[in-house]
Amino acid sequence: MNGTPGARTTRVWAALCAVTVLSWRLGTERTAGAAVTVAVLAIALVKARFVVRCFMEVQDAPAWLRRLTDVWLAALWTALVVLYLV
Amino acid sequence: MSGAAAARTAADASGGRRRGGAVDLWICWWVLPVFYVLFGLIFVLLARVIPPPRPDRSPEEVAAFFHDHAATIRIGFAALMVVIGFTGVANGLVAHQMKRMAVSPVFAYAYIAALAVGALPGCLMAAFCFLAAVFRPGRDPHVLALLYDIGLLTFVGSLGCFTTQYLVLALAILLDRRRIFPTWMAYVCVWQIVTELLAAPVFVFKDGPLAWDGSISFYMGTVIFGIYEVCIIVLLFKAVRDQPPGEPVQD
Amino acid sequence: MTAERETAARLPGDPGMWVFVLGDLAFFSAYFVIFMVHRGREPELFAAAQRHLSPAVAVATTLLLLTGSWLIALAVQASRAGEHRRALRLTAGTLLTGVLFMLVKAGEWAWEASHGRTFASGDFFMFYYLLTGVHLFHMLLGLVVLGVVLRELRAPGLRRTAVVETGATYWHMVDLLWIVIFVLVYLMR
Repeated sequence: MNGTPGARTTRVWAALCAVTVLSWRLGTERTAGAAVTVAVLAIALVKARFVVRCFMEVQDAPAWLRRLTDVWLAALWTALVVLYLV
Repeated sequence: MSGAAAARTAADASGGRRRGGAVDLWICWWVLPVFYVLFGLIFVLLARVIPPPRPDRSPEEVAAFFHDHAATIRIGFAALMVVIGFTGVANGLVAHQMKRMAVSPVFAYAYIAALAVGALPGCLMAAFCFLAAVFRPGRDPHVLALLYDIGLLTFVGSLGCFTTQYLVLALAILLDRRRIFPTWMAYVCVWQIVTELLAAPVFVFKDGPLAWDGSISFYMGTVIFGIYEVCIIVLLFKAVRDQPPGEPVQD
Repeated sequence: MTAERETAARLPGDPGMWVFVLGDLAFFSAYFVIFMVHRGREPELFAAAQRHLSPAVAVATTLLLLTGSWLIALAVQASRAGEHRRALRLTAGTLLTGVLFMLVKAGEWAWEASHGRTFASGDFFMFYYLLTGVHLFHMLLGLVVLGVVLRELRAPGLRRTAVVETGATYWHMVDLLWIVIFVLVYLMR
């Protein structure tokens, strides 16, 4: 882990903001279709995992919580993508 | 003399108001699992109110519903009239534990009062409406549809009293330094508050997830209610088991 | 001063709050799935109704919540380092982002309602008000939670880090839920 915990937290925040703006630009393209929406969902998954792991400090939590949150993220996102595409 | 025996003697000396042994509390505790099992059987199998029949039925379909289920509705809801008083015992036990908490007894009073008001719309009106509907065969379908609506709207939509109940219980738990109940139970109460609020739209929608038979307003609410009841029964068991005999409880 | 690395895995804050967070994530996941099922039945209607919303406003609110999470995460670190005044300021900052979020949301609702798009205006707007409404309720609770954290940080005899951690965990959940709502309601085409 390079830098102080504060510096890392700030970097994560900046990246999350940047990626939010990116997904907004992508998602509001006039030619937006299924591929774009799946990409936007994928970006949201990455954001969610960063919030869970870094902000909520699950990366330093006991293994059962790390696994449980990963399972939840995977299950929910799979359901969302499947329901979107079907 | 052991501490417990000394406490018991002291309690006996003060007029025997706080007898040890907690047999009285165990009798009260047993009421909960017995009542809620009966409640489930009545509302699910007999009265057919859980899951509720659909809001988007025509009066003729409603008449047919009452005709088809008249016998079980009569048996189920008549049985409910006999056992409904048990909720008073159950709520009294919860309120007693709330009075043991290091908070004002106002919370316990509010809990009891909210539920006393809530019992009528919460299940009795549904019972009386359905019983009246099947009391005389051959009623006008429009009258039957009205009874159907009143019964089911009150059953699912009577949320204010219960919201208050969960709110005071959550507050009491969170403010209680003695930790009679664990803090997570307060959060379960918050879940209940959310499901009660999500039942408010049943007055607007006749189909979809927010109707009185909706996936959100009804089914999720019932699942979370089930979780809440299991938790409260288990926590009351532990509280009664661990309660020191002869412990003075605030009025 | 040497910084101590936490080598043992730990659950920050009150474990009861994690029960609440995990449960809430499960319940909201059910709402999201129910939303997607209903959307799948009439995707054109949902897409058409969605065009009335402003993704720009939604991005602003998303950035507000991310900023709030950032500030409260820094507040937890400050509290651990014993810097109570800094933790207090950061927590107040988070509270401000929450208040601004609620104001923007209220404005958005007022805008939509004044243009005739209310709770009963079809399935999409039913879900719009439902999801953002339940989220807003959690946000309101979040403001109460932050109030408790502020009170804790101000009292000289308290200032327990666990309270700040518990509040932060709740706040991050509110942020996390919004990330999903943002995508499903505003960006999904």
